[in-house]
Amino acid sequence: MTKILMKGNEALGEAAVRAGCVHFFGYPITPQTEIPEYLVKRLAQVGGTFVQAESEIAAIHMVMGASGVGVRCMTSSSSPGISLMAEGMSYIAACELPCVVVNMMRAGPGLGGILPAQSDYHQATRGHGHGDYQVIVLAPSSVQEAVDLMGLAFELAERWRNPVMVCADGMIGQMMEPVEFADGDGRGPPMPPNDWALGVREGRRRRIVNSLYLSPEELLAHNRKLKAKYDAIAATERRSELDAGAGGYDVLVVAFGTMARICRTAVDELRAEGLRPALFRPISLKPFPYPELRRALDAIDGDGPVLAVEMSMGQMVDDVRLAAEGTRRVLFHGTAGGVVPSPDDVAAEIRAALGAAVA
Amino acid sequence: MSSAPEAVAPRPAERLIALVGGYGSGKTEVAVNLALHLRAHGLVVQIADLDLVNPYFRCREAREAMEAAGVRVVVPEGPLVYADLPIVTPQVAGLLAPAPGTVSILDVGGDDVGSRVLSSFRPLLREGAYELWQVVNARRPFSATVGGCLAQADAIAAASRLRITGLVSNAHLLDATDADVVLEGVALTRAVALAAGIPLRLVAALGRLADDPRVAALPEPLLRLERRMLPPWLRPETRARCAAPAPRTVPVGVATHARLVPEVHRRHG
Repeated sequence: MTKILMKGNEALGEAAVRAGCVHFFGYPITPQTEIPEYLVKRLAQVGGTFVQAESEIAAIHMVMGASGVGVRCMTSSSSPGISLMAEGMSYIAACELPCVVVNMMRAGPGLGGILPAQSDYHQATRGHGHGDYQVIVLAPSSVQEAVDLMGLAFELAERWRNPVMVCADGMIGQMMEPVEFADGDGRGPPMPPNDWALGVREGRRRRIVNSLYLSPEELLAHNRKLKAKYDAIAATERRSELDAGAGGYDVLVVAFGTMARICRTAVDELRAEGLRPALFRPISLKPFPYPELRRALDAIDGDGPVLAVEMSMGQMVDDVRLAAEGTRRVLFHGTAGGVVPSPDDVAAEIRAALGAAVA
Repeated sequence: MSSAPEAVAPRPAERLIALVGGYGSGKTEVAVNLALHLRAHGLVVQIADLDLVNPYFRCREAREAMEAAGVRVVVPEGPLVYADLPIVTPQVAGLLAPAPGTVSILDVGGDDVGSRVLSSFRPLLREGAYELWQVVNARRPFSATVGGCLAQADAIAAASRLRITGLVSNAHLLDATDADVVLEGVALTRAVALAAGIPLRLVAALGRLADDPRVAALPEPLLRLERRMLPPWLRPETRARCAAPAPRTVPVGVATHARLVPEVHRRHG
């Protein structure tokens, strides 16, 4: 394996092809446009399909159609485009179809700006459209991890017959980092046989992809079935990382994506000064790693607080509060608008949190 | 780094240098470092950010450092500096015919789509009155082979309606770059130069790698890079480390081929 330098967006596109994704439907929007730009060239090499749809609404429904006939497919967009896809996400989840959606988050609300943000956390983890449905959400914090999670996203989508969102901030999409891909011919495995995809019937039982249940009892049963699936996902698909340091910690910092990298620098520098912060990084935002975070919170020395740091005005911090269940003081530091905090900003917040812990 | 400004004496065509190349070749890093380097050697330097295709990591982000060093920076003004719109400020036209002693650098966007903006200046540019340098990073997917680089060059030349006049070898994997990466990149770029019949004008390398004996022994002019386009979690301390001057620096004008890029520190005599 040779290391090559790739932009996050290009690497995501390459990872999708290597995961066996051969169909892409999307619409350009900064800061994710390099994904379609890369795939339009690359999918041609593997006999795939690239369609620039007339809008994000069209793109997500093309994904639904392709997924319904059992081919591996994806779309990608950035925040305002994901809002437009909300309706389709609800339908795809209701129909239990596998697909991958990439959100390269930019600053909102509304048209907002084109710089990185994490302010679609609520949108991603609390559903995009209507109804009781959930989407698995994975948040990479490096280009290599984006590559790895892209492969995992297709695997989980098919294992659970559910949409999976890879949710990164624009920084991950735009930055370049060295990446490695597993050896191979650059083509992913074909979709395994299944018992749900539409196609030529050939004497088998009729299959239906549908989200309309006029009978309330049937719709309740469908919702219960979905809920059981989401519970199973929550029990088995949590992913996170804890850097506890050596010899205990006095404050726990919680951050994901780009923000976790900035916190990493701040935590390392404060440790060099003899302070004792720890860093917890959720990798799956949905299911949120509540039990893992709770264990990390319980291990804070004394009555030290937890500090959530986000490029939003405070969204993931809600899940930190849910994990803490009132057992810890929960602090928050956030920015918005595409303003990315510096390691100094974060270090100052951690110092303040530590000071508060001592007092 | 001591040098007399008059010793730099760029040839007329070298007063206007446009940097083109594939996405991620490092055009911006080379452009910014070249601007600061020439400024440090007493030239009047002006740089225009013509990257219309990249939303982040553009040379406008190094504006403060360049202006502090006395480089004139031409970028869209006000909040438009953050836009992903195809804005070319009228001041750019003023950079196309620099006065003697002045060097204009155009930092152009990636690939053929990024370099298309240059074609609008074609009527203002006489053959021989500009340098168009293709920056080559051998560790990028589409410029890892001679064929890939030549295809990129053809596409850029067609889109810009200009002729590529020189190559810059800038093989890198950001912080994971080692001397082997630099040397392999130079070997590839030399092969591209041979195949295309255009000269390899410059080798760019991070400061710590420029000090490597094998890199220092290269016959081509060497530009020491200090990373300016940093993600927010990387500290400027790395810059300080990269910027430490090499003890072997030869004064400007000593090296025969170093008219434009005088810091050819290992070329004794």
